[in-house]
Amino acid sequence: MNVLKKPILLVILDILTLVLVPAAVVLVVFFTPVEAVMGPVQKVFYFHVSAAWAGMLCFIIGAVTGGAYLLTRRLHWDWLSTSSIEVGLVFALIAILSGMIWARPIWNTWWVWDPRLTTTAIMTLVYLAYFILRSGLNTQETRARLGAVYAIVAVLTVPLTFFSIRLFRTIHPVVIATGGGDGPAFNMSPRMLTALFASLFVFTLMLIDLVWHRYRLAQLQYETSPEVN
Amino acid sequence: MTGVLAYLAAVWQVFRKDIQVEWRGRQGIPVMLVFALMIVFLFNFALQLSPDLQAGLAAGLLWVSLAFASTLGLNRSISLERENNALDGLLLAPVDRSAVFFGKALGNFCFTSLVGLLLLPIVSLFYQQNLLRLPLAAVLLLGVAAYTSLGTLLSALSIQARTRDILLPVLLFPLALPILIAAVEATRGLLSGQTLAELSSWVYLILAGALLFNAAGLLFFEIILEE
Repeated sequence: MNVLKKPILLVILDILTLVLVPAAVVLVVFFTPVEAVMGPVQKVFYFHVSAAWAGMLCFIIGAVTGGAYLLTRRLHWDWLSTSSIEVGLVFALIAILSGMIWARPIWNTWWVWDPRLTTTAIMTLVYLAYFILRSGLNTQETRARLGAVYAIVAVLTVPLTFFSIRLFRTIHPVVIATGGGDGPAFNMSPRMLTALFASLFVFTLMLIDLVWHRYRLAQLQYETSPEVN
Repeated sequence: MTGVLAYLAAVWQVFRKDIQVEWRGRQGIPVMLVFALMIVFLFNFALQLSPDLQAGLAAGLLWVSLAFASTLGLNRSISLERENNALDGLLLAPVDRSAVFFGKALGNFCFTSLVGLLLLPIVSLFYQQNLLRLPLAAVLLLGVAAYTSLGTLLSALSIQARTRDILLPVLLFPLALPILIAAVEATRGLLSGQTLAELSSWVYLILAGALLFNAAGLLFFEIILEE
């Protein structure tokens, strides 16, 4: 069968991701300067920001493809939507966990009820509920239709999370400083900036790779046993 | 113009039906109110509250009890339609389905805000905080409007799942949290002597929620309930 064959582009993307993720780790560990005040733990930051970015991008893709499903009613869009939300949830959890690892020595606590942390936790809970909703629905068509509606409503939490450090008083550092915002600004040296953009790029590649694999899983599931779905 | 009037008439009919069902059965609002009261009392023992309660706690107490009680009403409002396939009858009506949404949302808004308004003197009485203020009632109504319109939308989702009896709070609470936080903050500000103008950013957040969730109902209710 045609769909069983792994696309050549995906193979290339696999190899690229497998090479570049360790390369990014090496870059962050050995080639970025140690931050003067925070010390080595600051290096969590590169993957923390990248994971948060990847998670939010996934949720936005999930909403857009959910909308595409509602317009076209082609199941492919639903596979893409649910795949990216699933991958996005993992990235969001990575962002929260890596943030906690950083916060423990810097803020002297694993968690504070800061607006940015709170909105991120809300966003994660909202997308956890997405899978609870889907697991309770019987047919693939209802899962796709109601999942799409939910994904579109749920995506409201993404801008809320992104802009929370600009709207509210917060102790979370503002990285993309475009004026305004009460949080402490973070000035990066050129090498830090390079490493940040490198890891953002690598995480975006990894995101595409993972979503693609998850999409193929949904596709293969459908091809092998459409009646079960 | 006649189209708008016909639409509003459809909204009114759905609303009137829900009010009538509630009036004849008198089963929704009393249950919600008693449940909310129980949470108010439970809080006292769970958190060891002193009678001269801090303003922040009174605000939180009011909204948490109301949010929990409201899910009972929201669940009931949609499960009543499931009984005897009444929902099919509603959907067969030759009106835009968003009219059904607005009618039901309006009914849910009335029930929950009535419970909320009744809670104000009760919480005031038991916790020696004066919650009987006009701006506070306005925040209450606005917050309930946002909360119940989202709840009405999500109840139409949850009713279609196998887990329909337990699903709604899980869907509703995380999505409603930003609205609830804003409502608690605005209520707390009012109780500690701030004016509505000083709390405008919270009020605008609730207002934005109310508008967005109603727009979502207008757009998606038809899609959610199609067979």
